[in-house]
Amino acid sequence: MNSQPNYMANYLPILIQLGLALGLSGGILALSWLLGLHRRTRRKLAAYECGVEPVGDAQNRFAVRFYLVAIIFILFDIETVFLIPWAVVFRSLKLFGFFEMLVYMAIVLAGFFYIWRKGVLDWNTPERAE
Amino acid sequence: MDLLNHSILSALLIAPLIGALLVLLAPGERAVRWLALLSSLATLLLSLHLPFHFQNAARGMQFAQDVPWISALNIHYAVGVDGISLWLVVLTTVLSLVSVLTAWNSIRHNVKSFYFLLLLLQAGIIGVFISLDLFLFYVCWEITLVPMALMIGAWGGAQRSFAAVKFFVYTMAGSLLMLGSILWLRNLTGTFNVTAIRTELASGSVVLAPHTEVWLFLGFLVAFCIKTPIFPLHTWQPLAYTEAPLPAVIMLAGLMSKMGAYGLIRFDVTLFPNASHRLATLVVVLGLIGVVYGGLLAFVQTNLKRIIAYSSLSHMGLVVVGAFSLTTIGTQGAVFQMISHGVTTAGLFLLVGVLYARRGSLELRDFGGIASQMPVFAGLFVWLAMAAVGLPLLSGFIGEFLIFLGAFTAQHWFGIIAALGVILSAMYLLRMTRLTIWGEPNATAAGNAAISDVGTLEGWVLAGLAILTLWLGVGSPLFLKPTLLSAQALQPISAPAPATNTASPLAQLKRGVL
Amino acid sequence: MHVPADYYLRILPELVLTATAVLIMLIEGGARLGSRAALSGTVALIGTAAALASVAVQSAHRGEAFSGMFRVDGFSLFFHGLIIAATLIVLLLSIGYLRAQRLQRGEFYALLLFATVGMCLMAGSVELIMVFIGLEISSICSYALCGFWRASARSSEAALKYLLLGSFATAFFLYGIALTYGASGSTNLYVIARSLSDVLAGHGSLILVAAALMFVGLAFKVSAAPFQVWTPDVYEGAPVAVTAFMSAGPKAATFAVFLRIFYVALGRYSHTWFWMIWVAAILSMCLGNLGALRQTNMKRMLAYSSIAHAGYVLVAFAALGEHGISAAMFYLACYVAMNLGAFAVISNLAQQNERFIDLHDYAGLGFRFPLQSVCLTICMLSLIGIPLTGGFLGKLFIFKAAFQNHLVGLAIVGLLNSALAAYYYLRVIAFLYMRPATVEVSQPQRSLSMNVAMVACAVGVLWLGIAPNSLLNFVVHSAGALTGR
Repeated sequence: MNSQPNYMANYLPILIQLGLALGLSGGILALSWLLGLHRRTRRKLAAYECGVEPVGDAQNRFAVRFYLVAIIFILFDIETVFLIPWAVVFRSLKLFGFFEMLVYMAIVLAGFFYIWRKGVLDWNTPERAE
Repeated sequence: MDLLNHSILSALLIAPLIGALLVLLAPGERAVRWLALLSSLATLLLSLHLPFHFQNAARGMQFAQDVPWISALNIHYAVGVDGISLWLVVLTTVLSLVSVLTAWNSIRHNVKSFYFLLLLLQAGIIGVFISLDLFLFYVCWEITLVPMALMIGAWGGAQRSFAAVKFFVYTMAGSLLMLGSILWLRNLTGTFNVTAIRTELASGSVVLAPHTEVWLFLGFLVAFCIKTPIFPLHTWQPLAYTEAPLPAVIMLAGLMSKMGAYGLIRFDVTLFPNASHRLATLVVVLGLIGVVYGGLLAFVQTNLKRIIAYSSLSHMGLVVVGAFSLTTIGTQGAVFQMISHGVTTAGLFLLVGVLYARRGSLELRDFGGIASQMPVFAGLFVWLAMAAVGLPLLSGFIGEFLIFLGAFTAQHWFGIIAALGVILSAMYLLRMTRLTIWGEPNATAAGNAAISDVGTLEGWVLAGLAILTLWLGVGSPLFLKPTLLSAQALQPISAPAPATNTASPLAQLKRGVL
Repeated sequence: MHVPADYYLRILPELVLTATAVLIMLIEGGARLGSRAALSGTVALIGTAAALASVAVQSAHRGEAFSGMFRVDGFSLFFHGLIIAATLIVLLLSIGYLRAQRLQRGEFYALLLFATVGMCLMAGSVELIMVFIGLEISSICSYALCGFWRASARSSEAALKYLLLGSFATAFFLYGIALTYGASGSTNLYVIARSLSDVLAGHGSLILVAAALMFVGLAFKVSAAPFQVWTPDVYEGAPVAVTAFMSAGPKAATFAVFLRIFYVALGRYSHTWFWMIWVAAILSMCLGNLGALRQTNMKRMLAYSSIAHAGYVLVAFAALGEHGISAAMFYLACYVAMNLGAFAVISNLAQQNERFIDLHDYAGLGFRFPLQSVCLTICMLSLIGIPLTGGFLGKLFIFKAAFQNHLVGLAIVGLLNSALAAYYYLRVIAFLYMRPATVEVSQPQRSLSMNVAMVACAVGVLWLGIAPNSLLNFVVHSAGALTGR
């Protein structure tokens, strides 16, 4: 790295930024802890202090279906990432680009068909036992 | 005839393989046995072509064949025999036939698999003796392990599984060191061909640094020492010999131990003459320790198979002494002793197999005084034991005598200690004979009263081996003549004259070039 | 924009596999047939066979494709063929296996084929991002396959372990790519090689760090020590068919990437990364073989053995140059054949719920189930390295390369390790033929496809050991082409 002394120097602004961010947030926390009053009542130590009584434990089990939906959402959302740049350069791609995108959409649709027939989109059917 | 001369060795290699294939396809047990017998007989007849057409006056390899095999690695299928391997090939086919006949009655379950493995083993052993390419040699060398280990493990005695695994891993470890040496040598010389390597080394186009040569030598040596076996790498041997089924033990003691000794002569002595000279004393001393130590152990054993196992250690030690006396006469003796030991040890194992089949025991205390019930057996027993001891006129004498000559030529005390070994072998073999055959009928051995004499098949096989020992003993010049030139070619000294230890190894080497 | 038709022909195997996998998903979602899984299996078989055939088409159109991202040369052709052939064998054995386990679901085949697509991309890509995408495709499918036996807690555990550690390793790999890009300004391997030779001696340490990071990621995937700890657990937990798959295809594909990145892109820096490989080779061989010595679970034993074999390939890797590359390639082919053969037999004998998976169950099976036993014996002998099998010739080739590059120490360690390994492979044979049966093992199901898989592997192992000329010459030739540029 000796031949290019400014190679790492490029990262200096980021380092300064990092220091500033840490300093500021740390400083504010420290100041409020030092200057503020500490009244440790039960209410004050509750998880939320916004007037709502806490109910139960936060560590509940979710139905696995939520994850499934989330994953499927992400997967099908990704297609947009490909569609937008494709739309931008569509003119220069001409017919070739059109068919390429058709193939791509067909594959995505196949996946969609699959999850549909597997009943993933049906919220009401009970989960099938394996 | 020319065509036959060129392809005879390949035919010898392929014949047992065809036999194995036929055995695999054969419908019934009877068919399997007969096919195996036919195959081994055919191979034996084919192998007899070799001594009839061997040119005693020609130097170098005969019946040679060389075909490219794996071109990327410059591996050839190169085969050939000289005086050293000639009789070993014939011995292989003879003992394979004996083994097939022995299995006739002693192997009762999974007959097809057994004969298949036996014939595979035969092909492997023939391959070891005829290969002139280090790769091919290693392939055959290792391939023999598999059928033998399976034969020990699947048809052997009570500790068979342990014996098989120990045998396999022990020998495999040594072989891998040899593989290291082979690859290193390949790297230095660029070829796997033994003759080419020897030429390159002898002509000086490739010069091995002294320490390199010693390491290469040792890599080979360890593998051969384990196989032969030579003290102190023999510990697998008594167990394997004891546990193996009879036909397998004939192959193991009669042939596979010869592979090690043959390797010592063909590779260690041939390829590394300088290292051989430097380390000859070490190897001879190990051999001598084997001779004496094996003899002493054999003397105190109470199990017949173990006596013969340790006697093998002792007798094969002599072979090593002969080979590393680095004299022509010693080498010839070593070769002869290998043949003789192959025949006698197979005979002895067969004899104890006869006893085991009748009594289910091999402990000395269960026998004694059976000569009256089994006169033919007793006669054969004494005959073969005497052949092993080295009684003049029988085969053991010639080999031992030549080895002593070689050993005396090299160092007097080599010969003196080696001769001691013969006294020991007389001691333990006579003790064995006395305690088994002669003496009072043993009180504890109630079953001996009704023991029957050898059967027809057993009798003929044993008689054949006995006659063979006599023939070897009486007709020894016939067997020794082909070995002379090949043995000479190995030696730094070209005539069987007293050693001139003063000549420098290099000068000796120059005179000893093929 | 014009895309030459050649480009598509160059990725034809990938296209065929993808189309097949999508078709299987449609079948799974489609008709409510009783024999849906059987249909999927057949389609997968046909598709994979077609993909294998299309490697021939690919080989007629060598060259680069898609802005130099993909490259068809001898090297990538070899790995395409190897990977797809491995998948074909895995398919054959899993058709019977899934039926025995009552796990028949078409998703299995789809995942398998998608994973194969990823591996093929890895084998052909000369662009780090593309390599990464291929790696991820194949990895994610493998994670899912590991947990495919959902009723088994071990299977889920294996999947989770593999996922967590695998993602971690991938992150390392990605970081390595980023640093390589930082040092060279490109992600194309050939451009990297050029720019690294043009510029700067000064970026040596950056390249070293990048190489180390990529090494971590890839060593994890090939289960080379010291990144091998996941292997036994994952191999043991996953269904046998998946274990078979993981030990073959991904390993070969990752080694392809490994060789290409290190020899092509970082070839100039071999003096810096050589020692990493050297140490990893020794560690893998020793730890793998020592670990395997005491295992009685067949899957676990083969897991340790696969670590050891990764070590042998690394020996070839450390023997820099063409000899090393060709030795590694040839050995991988042999390894895939013998390992898949062993797993084919294991999956056949395992039966429902993998009841018979322990070495002790194998006692006395030798003469009862001759076909299975003979195939397993041949594969074990090859794993030991007995002549006339591929395993022997592969090892010989590797150690020859090591000797040629004066790595005598490494070669000796490898040879001694082979002797050590002989013990535990031989024990399998000993149990088969030399021990009386202790467990009542029921007759394994008759499955033609499984038998075909077993016999094909056994024959392949022998073929590689006896008549390897054509493959060896091809390998030597394509290894030369890899370094030639």
